[in-house]
Amino acid sequence: MTNATSPDTYKRLLEVKGLQTYFKTDAGIVKAVDGISFTLNKGETLGIVGESGSGKSVTNLSIMRLIPSPPGKIVGGEVLFEGKDILKLSEGELRHLRGNDISMIFQDPMTSLNPFLRISTQMIETIRLHQSMSRREALAKSIEMLKLVGIPAAEERIHSYPHQFSGGMRQRVMIGMALSCEAKILIADEPTTALDVTIQAQILELIQELSKKLDTAVILITHDLGVVAGMCDTVCVMYAGKIVEKAKTDDLYANPSHPYTYGLIQSVPRLDKAHDGKLFSIEGQPPNVIDLPPCCPFHPRCHKAMDICRTQYPPTKDLGNGHEVSCWLFIDEKEHSHE
Amino acid sequence: MNLFNKKKTKLEATNEFNQVVVGNSLTKDAWRRLKKNKMAVISVVIVSIYILLAILAPILPIYPYDEIILDHQHLKPSLSKTSGELLTEKKMADLYTQAWRQGRLKVTPEEDDMLWAWIDSSNANKVWDYMFIVGSEQIADGTYTFTSAEKRTIDNLEKKLKTDLQITVKKVWHTNQETGKKDNVAKLPVEQVVEIYAEMVGTSVEIVSEQYEREIEQQLVKVIMAQNPDLTPEEYLLLYDKELESMSEKEHDKLVKENVLAKISSRAKEIASKDLKVAATDESAVFPLDKEIIIQGSLSADVEATKMHDRRYYLGTDYQGRDMLSRIIYGGQVSIAIGFIGTITSVFIGIILGALAGYLGGKVDYFIMRIVDIMYGLPYMLLVIIAMAIFGRNILNLFFALAIISWLTVSRMVRGQIMSLKNQEFIEAARSMGAPTWRIIFRHLVPNSLSVIIVFSTLRIPSFIMTESFLSFLGLGVQAPYASWGSLVGDAVGGMTLYPWKLFFPAAAMTIFLFAMNFLGDGLRDAFDPQSKNQL
Amino acid sequence: MTKYIIRRLLGIIPTLLVIITISFFIVRVAPGGPFDGERALPEVVKRNIEAKYHMDDPLLIQYGRYMFDVLRGDLGPSFRYKDHDVNFYIFQSLPNSMILGVIAISLSIIFGITSGMLAAVKQNTWVDYLSMALAVVGISVPLFVIGPVLQYVFAMRLGWLPTSGWFTAGDGWKTIILPAVTLAFADFATIARLTRSSMLETLRSDYIRTAKAKGMKPSAIIFKHSMKGAMLPIVSYLGPAFAGIITGSVVVEQVFRIPGLGKFFVQSSFNRDYTLIVGVVIVYSVILVIMNFIVDIVYSLLDPRITYK
Repeated sequence: MTNATSPDTYKRLLEVKGLQTYFKTDAGIVKAVDGISFTLNKGETLGIVGESGSGKSVTNLSIMRLIPSPPGKIVGGEVLFEGKDILKLSEGELRHLRGNDISMIFQDPMTSLNPFLRISTQMIETIRLHQSMSRREALAKSIEMLKLVGIPAAEERIHSYPHQFSGGMRQRVMIGMALSCEAKILIADEPTTALDVTIQAQILELIQELSKKLDTAVILITHDLGVVAGMCDTVCVMYAGKIVEKAKTDDLYANPSHPYTYGLIQSVPRLDKAHDGKLFSIEGQPPNVIDLPPCCPFHPRCHKAMDICRTQYPPTKDLGNGHEVSCWLFIDEKEHSHE
Repeated sequence: MNLFNKKKTKLEATNEFNQVVVGNSLTKDAWRRLKKNKMAVISVVIVSIYILLAILAPILPIYPYDEIILDHQHLKPSLSKTSGELLTEKKMADLYTQAWRQGRLKVTPEEDDMLWAWIDSSNANKVWDYMFIVGSEQIADGTYTFTSAEKRTIDNLEKKLKTDLQITVKKVWHTNQETGKKDNVAKLPVEQVVEIYAEMVGTSVEIVSEQYEREIEQQLVKVIMAQNPDLTPEEYLLLYDKELESMSEKEHDKLVKENVLAKISSRAKEIASKDLKVAATDESAVFPLDKEIIIQGSLSADVEATKMHDRRYYLGTDYQGRDMLSRIIYGGQVSIAIGFIGTITSVFIGIILGALAGYLGGKVDYFIMRIVDIMYGLPYMLLVIIAMAIFGRNILNLFFALAIISWLTVSRMVRGQIMSLKNQEFIEAARSMGAPTWRIIFRHLVPNSLSVIIVFSTLRIPSFIMTESFLSFLGLGVQAPYASWGSLVGDAVGGMTLYPWKLFFPAAAMTIFLFAMNFLGDGLRDAFDPQSKNQL
Repeated sequence: MTKYIIRRLLGIIPTLLVIITISFFIVRVAPGGPFDGERALPEVVKRNIEAKYHMDDPLLIQYGRYMFDVLRGDLGPSFRYKDHDVNFYIFQSLPNSMILGVIAISLSIIFGITSGMLAAVKQNTWVDYLSMALAVVGISVPLFVIGPVLQYVFAMRLGWLPTSGWFTAGDGWKTIILPAVTLAFADFATIARLTRSSMLETLRSDYIRTAKAKGMKPSAIIFKHSMKGAMLPIVSYLGPAFAGIITGSVVVEQVFRIPGLGKFFVQSSFNRDYTLIVGVVIVYSVILVIMNFIVDIVYSLLDPRITYK
């Protein structure tokens, strides 16, 4: 659709517009992702933050068209990769894109590698899928990648099975495998959640370092705002399948506008700020996204909730400098009363 | 799930968006899913019908399953025709076929070829059916006429069909001359029965007793011979003496009474059939009828008479002229009963042993599980066959043999469930409150693994029935005159080409039931455990 | 690995000993021998027979003698047939049963896995429904119904195949088709269902998602990435499958009049020829135990996560 070749489009690597992914369940339709939009520029690192169940992972699986269907279905929106709509690609084109242009790292390194195949087999096949290389060349490249991600004795260990590696090592292998085809976008879906705290930082650093080195754009999905602060250029905050706030990282931390973002930032334990011994927390639970009434889904947990929050979803308001927020607090008084 | 909250107070919970939240218990959820599964619902209906039929079998208007009428061997199933009509058809077809083979009944050369081809491929049924149609047409057209011999045969058959009666002697009465009191002979003491019999045949009690002693001896020897073939006559005599010695006075008296009573009954039957034959021939009586006839003097009997060839066999008859419909229903009764009771027993044993092994652990667990392991390694069906061969082929033994080998899987499953449950907090809580072991096992652990057990049991029933019928098929299970689906199929396999209905109906009855049970089991499993990993 | 195999081999011994012991005591403890029924024999008769078959020795000596004989491979004299001993009858009929069993299990594995895979890959299409319907038939309809029905349709009505017999003149190998198909049916059904569910489970797993995210072709995903994992439950089912084949062959040999071990077994259990029955059971058990052992080894070769310690 949008094939306009303005210089702006070149800069934009990935553009998600009004993406909607629904799941059909016994209890009703789950609107896991309900009309979200964002852009990812070349070399940029984008963070997507939210509680579990807010639709972060589904967003990214939708980008790769990896939603298990049924029950899931992408019902609307566009995902433009370099101007082409991924959602309209044929299976063959899609396969060419996966792993080659966009690659993924998953949450659980323990189950994401095939336990029945040697690491070498899994890496070589990935490389040879997208690059014309001999088996030997691919093996050499794989070993190189493993060295790059910091696997000691890579020449020998590449012939091991996944279960012979520790969790952190496996995630390194995953990263090495994901970057082995020099993908333009790396989607990291909570890459550190399943790992020990000590390993988490190492893995994140590795991702950051390699993405700089290979000039890869990264979408980092996490529920940890601390991680985002250190790594991302831009942040999207998701709640109940919608992006409630989107801003440059510094801007977001300096100026959290949505009450939810504010709450999230407040709830990060910080050593540099004195507090009265009590950690801040947002009360209540994230809502079940089945059959949500038309309202701001955050209102039951919101300290600043108004009457209108209970009846209508707020429109998105641009606060300038790409800082967007969806909250009635920022809608003009006039507009407000008009509504 | 909360046991204390049994009061039906309707509390409506709402969520933060003021939407009513309906609570969902596991069973309610499972029930909802089960109702959605059409195959499972149909299966529930089918299984219920089967069970009803099995339970109501004794009061259903069907012929007794063990009533042998040799004239009615291998009658075709028919919804509209009586057995008499079928017999006539059979005879006519036979006569026409004979006539054709003798060249008296002419057909076109093509038909000739076709008929011979059928005969070559042993399709006798087709030949008879075809010849019946051709013959009837030719008789109507007058191109073929019966010979006098054939006419005589047909007349005889017709007469036989009209007059053959099925007479059952229900009760034999003896009227006491002095008091005028009417006694049921079967309830009188042995001595008196013998006296009555002696009086009937007009001899002394001594002669009568000599006769029945001889007959009982013959009867016993026959039984012994059937059980122990290949012995010398002396050995048989030895065995007989031993048998007689070991027999109590009461048992002996019972044999005597049965013997004498049978003789009185058969006399009553003779008299009744003589009487009623006349009535049947001149059509002065309407059958079926109940009547009291005088045997002799003060002896009388209640008899019931029906026209034998007015019977209808909707599903045909077997090789002894027994009604297939009733055999299938009674066979189903046996099969279903064994399936259900056997499953319950094996599940019961399995739960106890599995729960003990799982909860107590240690040596008990090791011991029970080693037994299970070793028994798993055995070809257990063969052991059942051995057990049946050794301990005698009857329903009770069959049932025990099956129950003993089929607790293995249940016990393994229950053990696994309990091991995973026993370290959970609610068990800790129960233990800390001083609940005794048995209470923890059977009040806390077992109920919590009940859904798994129910699902498993449902899937177990069809396999139990299959095993039973497997043995009965081989002739090692249920013995005649009792039937089970397996033995009915087993009986039918031999004469499959000629009498396909004998195979078809029991096989279909059984298959439909097994299908329903399997679908029900699958449905239950999906309902209780939608994410089931062991979808087998 | 070698150590693992040796250890598993040693584990077989107690099972075999138990089987032989059970067999021995079943025969000795059974009420009555082959020559009497439920009632006890008179002393004279009994003593004659017992002396003939060494049944008058103390039980322990009998047991020792029996164990020694069995381990030597001698299953003793037949109680019923005077001409030959048990070994003779077993080795006469065993090859027939083996041929039938091997063909049947091969058929059930090949067709079971194929249709299970097709059903999983084409989930909720007519392929899925058809193969699962066939599997339900296989699970719900007993062998002794399938056998006669196939016989009736293919042999009697259509006349394509011989009704019964075993490599009889004129029909040759055709005689094996119907019995093998009948025998294969039940295990085919279970294997097909098992394959389908384990394949679906594997296809839902994380590592298949990884493979998809790498841009692999569906065929490569199925054959290279899913097959091995999905086959594990099937391999572990093979043990029970062999047991099922053995049990089933008893009926199939009866229905199709095949001179195999199963037919012998039924015959001798009618005759109460205990030594023969027990001999057959021992042979069957040994086959079963060996098969289970092979299955174990294959399983450990397939799953790299299993360690041999």
